[in-house]
Amino acid sequence: MRGQPPRHPDDPKAELSELEGTIADAFALKPGDRLVYPAQGVCVVVGPETQEIAGQRLEMVRMKREEDGAAVLVPRGKVASVGLRRVASVELMDGVFHYLAAQLDDPELNWKIRHRDNADRMVGGGVLGIAEVVKGLHALSRLRPLPTKERGQFDNARHLLVAEVAASLGVAPGLAEDFIDYALMPPAGTRFKLKPPPKPILMPSRPPRRRYVVDDEGDGLDDLGLDELGIEGLGEEAAVEGAVEGAVEGAVEGAVEGVVEGAEGEAGETADGAEAPVEALPVPATPATRSPLKLVPALAAAVKAAAPVKAKAGPAQKQPPAAKKPAKPPAKAPAKAPAKSAAKKASKPAVAKKPAGKPVTKKKASSRATDKPAANKGKKK
Amino acid sequence: MIRIATLAPLDPTDTVALVKSLRATFGLGTEHVGDLRLPRGGAKDGSWDAIALLGAAGPVLAVADDKVLFIAGAPLTLAAGPLGDPPCWGFAQYGGGRAIISLANLPERGVTEASIESWRRRLAREAVHVVGHLWDLHHCYDARCAMHPSWSPHLGPTPDSSLCTFCREKSERKIRLAKT
Repeated sequence: MRGQPPRHPDDPKAELSELEGTIADAFALKPGDRLVYPAQGVCVVVGPETQEIAGQRLEMVRMKREEDGAAVLVPRGKVASVGLRRVASVELMDGVFHYLAAQLDDPELNWKIRHRDNADRMVGGGVLGIAEVVKGLHALSRLRPLPTKERGQFDNARHLLVAEVAASLGVAPGLAEDFIDYALMPPAGTRFKLKPPPKPILMPSRPPRRRYVVDDEGDGLDDLGLDELGIEGLGEEAAVEGAVEGAVEGAVEGAVEGVVEGAEGEAGETADGAEAPVEALPVPATPATRSPLKLVPALAAAVKAAAPVKAKAGPAQKQPPAAKKPAKPPAKAPAKAPAKSAAKKASKPAVAKKPAGKPVTKKKASSRATDKPAANKGKKK
Repeated sequence: MIRIATLAPLDPTDTVALVKSLRATFGLGTEHVGDLRLPRGGAKDGSWDAIALLGAAGPVLAVADDKVLFIAGAPLTLAAGPLGDPPCWGFAQYGGGRAIISLANLPERGVTEASIESWRRRLAREAVHVVGHLWDLHHCYDARCAMHPSWSPHLGPTPDSSLCTFCREKSERKIRLAKT
C-alpha cells in the first residue's frame, strides 16, 4: 500500500504497513461490497464506470456513502493509494474494544507530532489507527480541553469509528457509540476482563526535518561579494551587530563567540520545544560551543536584563579601548565595570573565552558612532 | 420542529418546562403532541429493548426533518456489546427522526421545589442529549455538555442541559442545512 506523498522531492516515499482488508486491486471490487474510505466513511460499491474528465477517459469506481447516499468516485488507479479497505472483521473489532478499554500510556503532548501522527493514522492506520486517535485525544481531553482543530479531528475520528463499528457489528450507529463510550468511560465500579489489545499499526517514520547548517555566518555576506566593493570594516560591523542582537534576543552564545555559528537556530528551537526530532547536526568541537541546556540560566539572566546586557555587550566588543591600555589585563576589564548584574556574571567566562582574533580594531570603534554611547553608558554605571 | 410524545404520565408543568428547555437549546419550535399508549410486549420485568420500543411506539404526525421524542416510564435496555451492555438512559436513531428516553433512571422527583427542579433539569438534559443525536451530534468529552454520556463518572449530580460551544455550533450547522 502506498502512503502519503513525500514532503520533499528528495525524501523517500513513505510505505504504510499492510492492513487487514486493504484493497490493492480495483478489479477485486464487486457491486455491493462495503468499504471504508478513510476520508468519507463507510461506502457501498455501486460499480465501475467510465467518465470523461478534461478530455480524458477515466476508469472510475462509483461508490455510495452509507451515511447520506452521497456519490463517491475513485479512479481505479488510486484505489490502493487512497486507503480504501474492507470493513473490519468482528474479531478485529473485538480487539479494538479491548484496546479502547485498556489503560492508556501517556498521551503525546507535543501538538505538532500528535496532530501529524493522528492525521496519518486516520488515513492509513485502519480501524485500530482510528481507535488510537480517539483514545489518544480522549485521554488528552481529560487533562485539558482540546484546541479547536483537534476537537474537529476528534469528532471526525469518532464519526469514522462509530460508522465502522456499526457496519462491522451490524448495529445502529447510536448503539455503536454507546459501546465505544462504555469502553472509554465505564460507569463507576465497572471492571472489564480485558485481553491483550492487538498490535498497534506501525506508521511510516517521517524523515526528520532538515536543517542546513552554515559553517560561518560570514559566508552569507561573502557570497554577496561585498568585499569587492571595498568597504572597510564591514565584516567587523556585522560581527558586532550579531553580538548585540544575539545578547538581546537571548542567544548568549552570539555574544560569546561574536557569533557562534547557528546559535540563533539552536536557541530558537530549544525555546520552541515543539520541533520534530532534528537530524544530528555537525557540531564543531570547539570549546566555546556548549549545549543549549547548559546555557539556560545565562540565557534567562540575559533576557531579564536585556538593556544592561546590551550595554555590556558594547564593552565586550569594545575591548579595543581596553586593549589600548596594555597595563590592564583582559580579565580585569569586565571586573572594572561597576554594574555587576547576574547577566554580566553569566557572560564573564564567555568573555574570557573570547577568541583572540575577534577584538575589533580602532577603526571599527571609531566608525561605529552608535557604539560609543553604549560604552559610555556602561562606564557611567 | 421537535415533537414530544409521552408513553407515561407526565405532569403538565414538567412538560412545559421540557418544551421550554428544548426550544431554548436548539432554537426550534417544540410542542407536546399528546400521550400515547405503551405498546404491548417488552420483557417480564417490565423493561423494554430501546430499539424495539422505538420501532413499536405509535405513529406521530411529523413532516421532513421533524424530530420526535418519546418519553417512556419503563426501564430501557440495549443489546450487549463486546464488553457488556452499557447502561441505557435513552436511545436515538443517529441522524434520524426518532428518539426515546426513560424516566426510570432519573432521580426521585420528590415533592420539594428543589428536588422537582433538579428532576426537571435532569429530564431536560436527557432529552437534549437524545435530540442532539438526532442532529448528528456525537458524545462529547466535556462533562458540562449535555452530549456527555449519561453514565459517565465525570458527570456532576445536577448536570446542565446546555451544549458546549462545539456541539452547539455543529447542531446549528446541521439545523441550517436541514431541508425544511
